[in-house]
Amino acid sequence: MEDSVIRLEKVSKTFRDFWLRPTVAAVDALDLEVRRGEVFGLLGPNGSGKSTTIKMILGLLSPSAGKVSLFGLPPHAKAARARLGYLPELSYLHPFLTARETLMYYAGLCSLSRAEARSRADQLLEMVKLSDVANRAVGGFSKGMARRVALASALVGKPELLVLDEPTSGLDPVSTKEVKTLVKALAKKGMTVLTTSHLLADSQDICDRVMILNRGKCAAEGKVSELGESLEEFFLAKVGSGDDFALADFLA
Amino acid sequence: MTSLLRIFWLEVTALVRSWTALIILLATLGWMFAANFVLVTDATEDGAREMVVRYGLGGVFALLVVSVLSIATGCIASEREAKRLQLTQVRPVSPFAIAWGKFLALSAVAAAVLAFPCATLVCSSEFSGLRCSHVYRPQMESPAEEAVKMYDVFMADPETPPEAKKAKKSVVLRLLEQRAKDNYQTVGTNETAVWAFPGLHDWAAANADVDLSVRLKFSNDFDMRDDVRGTLAADGFFGVVSNITQTAIVVPLVRGGFAAERDAVAFRNEGRAPVMLRPRQDVELLVPADSFAWNLLRSYVVMVSVLAFVAAFGIFLGAGLSRPVALFTAIVMLAVSEMSPSVVEQYPDQLETDKIDRIGLAMTRLVERGTKSVSSLSPLSSLAEGDCVERGDVAETFALDFFVLPLALCLLSGILIRRKQEQ
Repeated sequence: MEDSVIRLEKVSKTFRDFWLRPTVAAVDALDLEVRRGEVFGLLGPNGSGKSTTIKMILGLLSPSAGKVSLFGLPPHAKAARARLGYLPELSYLHPFLTARETLMYYAGLCSLSRAEARSRADQLLEMVKLSDVANRAVGGFSKGMARRVALASALVGKPELLVLDEPTSGLDPVSTKEVKTLVKALAKKGMTVLTTSHLLADSQDICDRVMILNRGKCAAEGKVSELGESLEEFFLAKVGSGDDFALADFLA
Repeated sequence: MTSLLRIFWLEVTALVRSWTALIILLATLGWMFAANFVLVTDATEDGAREMVVRYGLGGVFALLVVSVLSIATGCIASEREAKRLQLTQVRPVSPFAIAWGKFLALSAVAAAVLAFPCATLVCSSEFSGLRCSHVYRPQMESPAEEAVKMYDVFMADPETPPEAKKAKKSVVLRLLEQRAKDNYQTVGTNETAVWAFPGLHDWAAANADVDLSVRLKFSNDFDMRDDVRGTLAADGFFGVVSNITQTAIVVPLVRGGFAAERDAVAFRNEGRAPVMLRPRQDVELLVPADSFAWNLLRSYVVMVSVLAFVAAFGIFLGAGLSRPVALFTAIVMLAVSEMSPSVVEQYPDQLETDKIDRIGLAMTRLVERGTKSVSSLSPLSSLAEGDCVERGDVAETFALDFFVLPLALCLLSGILIRRKQEQ
């Protein structure tokens, strides 16, 4: 059995304009490996290349150079996508569908039969505590509720790899804690999780390993337990403390 | 297959729950209802049918074309802009399936909406007794063959303009072909013109209880000044022509009368002035076919096919462009494709000396050729005039507009969806 779930080898991504002139080098010769059953955190300041890396892993972007593989397959292969669940940074739900229909729609896309999709949807709605509002259109949901529906949608196809982009964004402290508990429980069952977060404390709680990206390059990588007591201090040491941002001088 | 059905279901649900489908349906039914009061007919069944079909159903069809185009351009473009498309793309679904599922959903909703106004026409007692006719035109040389034959004579003619003599052979042939289409045949006083209709004799023998008619169109001013009088004779049939003001008349033929040539229709001009007709366009033999309801059903299939093509085209544009740009482009292209046949017909002269005009005509001709198969809204013209929408044409239009072209456009849309996400 392949031990490596995600593998990036010397991957670069340069965005180009209409005339194919390079505009932004978002990712530069990045090597990354996420192993089966691991909770891996991809951290970095805004514009560090986290989203681009995730999009390449999801097959939404092709790398300009290097190789991306998912379960040993190209990321756009159907067999690889069938084993993948994705929670984007914002929920992006279809406003006219109810919570149950949303889950059944994504279950159908994962080729689950109607009966199987219905039972899976009910099970997940129970898990994210939305059974009471299962037949309400998600367009009327609060941000937190919509986030929980999106999380359930990511899990509906029984994925082996879960990609979470800012999973706790928009959630209250109680829901945040529940999501963290859920991720830990999924990891315990053997699911591989790749997550990005600006909340370093959250990453510290749930991740086994992290990689810190800065300007498209790997600034540091290692087990959370080996990075010292505070991930925040380590992070600031690697990407800069922000002291060069002369707002105080400007205001003075 | 499950994913295709899911995408289809999602799109239909969105159209129904957003009230879009209902609003369009109410608008179409409202127009059909209002048309009864707005349109003034000549108090005959045929006149009423022509007005209601041409302007009532025609208005509904135009409304649906614009609505389908508007929705189709947003199908993928809006999903992409709202970032919902990427959630579908990360599932094991091909981009082609996304485009094809949306296309089928939009076509199904358009077909369902169009079915209601068509059903109101079928249920209307006003048209229940009407029948349609198969239309046959005289067998003649094709305009292209005639152009080839005329070429040497035309080039040798001292009155041929020097520009034509210098022009390429293909350009001159196109010009001559257009002239052949418009060629007038003059039938002088007390003269007889004969047009061939192969198979007429056998048909008349086999269908002893069915009567024929001939439609003559008088499209030039010359004929409108004088009373047109004469007789028509076909294999065992006879009719009297008498026309003063109408641009087209249908002359019923009765069995009997004088003998005419086998497999031919003869017109004897008994008026005071010569009659000018373009046999390829102005002489039609009408053979009774089935009821108005069946003809409407066949027209419905053709209209649905055209709407399906419009949907696929809108989806294709939306896959590659942002929604406003896609919609603008689609409407401009639709207008150009609708206008280009009449521009080509009215300005056929390939020998235009002005360079800009020549380029404009060449481009218009290119658009006309490219969109010839799909830009025609003829089912409504045929239905309005009581002409039979032939099964072969329906099958051809359905295969091309509902299947082949949309399939190609959805495959291209799949490629564009993938390319667009890279930006």
